[in-house]
Amino acid sequence: MNEALNILTRGFVRENPVTKMLLGLCPVLAVTSSAYNGLGMGIATTFVLLGSNVVISLAAKAIPNTVRIPSFILVIATFVTIVDLLIKAYSPELNQALGIFIPLIVVNCMILGRAEAFASRNGLWYSIIDAIGMGLGFTFALLLLSAFREVLGAGTIFNIPLVGEGASTILVFALPPGAFAGLGLIIAGLNALEKKKGGN
Amino acid sequence: MGEMLLVIVSAIFVNNVVFARFLGICPYLGVSRKLDTAIGMGFAVTFVMTVATAIGYFLQYAVLIPFKIEFMQTVMFILVIASLVQLVEIILKKVSKPLYSSLGIFLPLITTNCAILGVALISIQEEYDLVTSVVFSFFSAMGFILAIVMFAGIREKLEAADVPKPFENVPIGFISAAILSLAFMGFAGLVK
Amino acid sequence: MRPIIILTIVGLLSASLLAVVDDLTREPIAEAKKQMERKAIAQIFPFTIGELKTVETEKTTFFEASDEAGELKGIAVKTHTNLGYSGLIEILLGVAPESHKILDYKVTYHIETPGLGDKIDKDKYKSQYRGRTLEDTNWNVRKDGGEIDELTAATISSRAVNDAVVRGLEFIKEQYPKQTEE
Repeated sequence: MNEALNILTRGFVRENPVTKMLLGLCPVLAVTSSAYNGLGMGIATTFVLLGSNVVISLAAKAIPNTVRIPSFILVIATFVTIVDLLIKAYSPELNQALGIFIPLIVVNCMILGRAEAFASRNGLWYSIIDAIGMGLGFTFALLLLSAFREVLGAGTIFNIPLVGEGASTILVFALPPGAFAGLGLIIAGLNALEKKKGGN
Repeated sequence: MGEMLLVIVSAIFVNNVVFARFLGICPYLGVSRKLDTAIGMGFAVTFVMTVATAIGYFLQYAVLIPFKIEFMQTVMFILVIASLVQLVEIILKKVSKPLYSSLGIFLPLITTNCAILGVALISIQEEYDLVTSVVFSFFSAMGFILAIVMFAGIREKLEAADVPKPFENVPIGFISAAILSLAFMGFAGLVK
Repeated sequence: MRPIIILTIVGLLSASLLAVVDDLTREPIAEAKKQMERKAIAQIFPFTIGELKTVETEKTTFFEASDEAGELKGIAVKTHTNLGYSGLIEILLGVAPESHKILDYKVTYHIETPGLGDKIDKDKYKSQYRGRTLEDTNWNVRKDGGEIDELTAATISSRAVNDAVVRGLEFIKEQYPKQTEE
């Protein structure tokens, strides 16, 4: 049980796919101009990760090494397409906001990375926990960055205004440079925090 | 011709894959530590990106649409890219051993370079014809090379700089990228 | 040989699963699209829509909206421009029937700069379009000697909206010619 807890929590901070392992950064930077989009992308990615981890942990033994990667990619692409169709059908607004980055979940290196490094070598149960842990860690990072950018860039959070109409905001945080700078600042902040903890 | 020029300028500068579209960030951070690796990686990406977009075009208009299986788009495109990457790997192994060993781990990673799938999908989305698609993807790759080469140069300088401890390595890289991206925003509106 | 067979099986499984999902979601997706359209149209017309008729032509799509009493109160048209700061902007433009006066518009797709160009969809900017027609307005921004107040720091987006609106008005003029019906 301890092992399970360990797998579940490490994706959150210690091995956070975004801030620590720097995986799947493209959607992290691209869709985080508002908290709603960040959350949507996080959930969609978690779903794909869960699906691919489950299938791959079950099927890994039957797949010969030579076609391992193509097969994994096929599995991931299948789940991505399912998510894509579901979002189109039930949340057209989110579809409009995330656009091309929904099909691009397929090339989120985090997902192939977990399939390759974890799911193909572990049982179903641990693979599910790993997917949930990593997915939540990814969502958490997206939410952190997107909330940071939305508050500073637009003065709102989840579209709820925090400042009065017409107040000036630090627009650059809503723009591409703000994505890079925001992520840099967050990682630096986490580094500083960790150092403090480690020092004591 | 004017139309083409517009596509070219837009692909390299205005909608630079890295700075404006946020595609291909992983290799951008990964291989930009040394200038020559960056260039090698850039050319591998150029080849795969251009060919993948061209094949994607045929897939979309000769297979997916006529057979009404557009939902297979993501699956088919990613398979094409994965096979192309294998091809590049084999060729590179034969032609240049040193380049092969230095690109090492990043070669298979081109498959998950979202810039390639991204550019192929954008060409379809924008309804470019075949020639425009090829031009667009080739110059998008040039934009990618420009980005990683510039960044590699900056990083070589950063090695010697006195960076505050928490900002070492990755964070300062992102901050530099932010400044570069800010500079690239100056190109926005250029195509008008 | 075995690897190829396995890869083929994986591919077939994937394709058939997706075919099923595609089949199941086809209707909801079409429905969602319609709902999005209807929602957008409801926003540009100042009356409650009773019946909505869709007229597809080669160039664009028109929507004829009647109020709850069944009287034709507004015509909406899909229009677009490629002159946006970042390219394509799609607009749903609503006009009054006969007079072809603009009732309102809604931006349905854009990738303009957040915080600057995206103000083209804010009421503060849009309100100046209401009541105008194709003929009675100089469709340029003030900077270019026209009558439309451009957005600060987003002149290009403002010009683009004008381009889309004029295109839309021309579509309407062509599809619903004034007083030419016998």
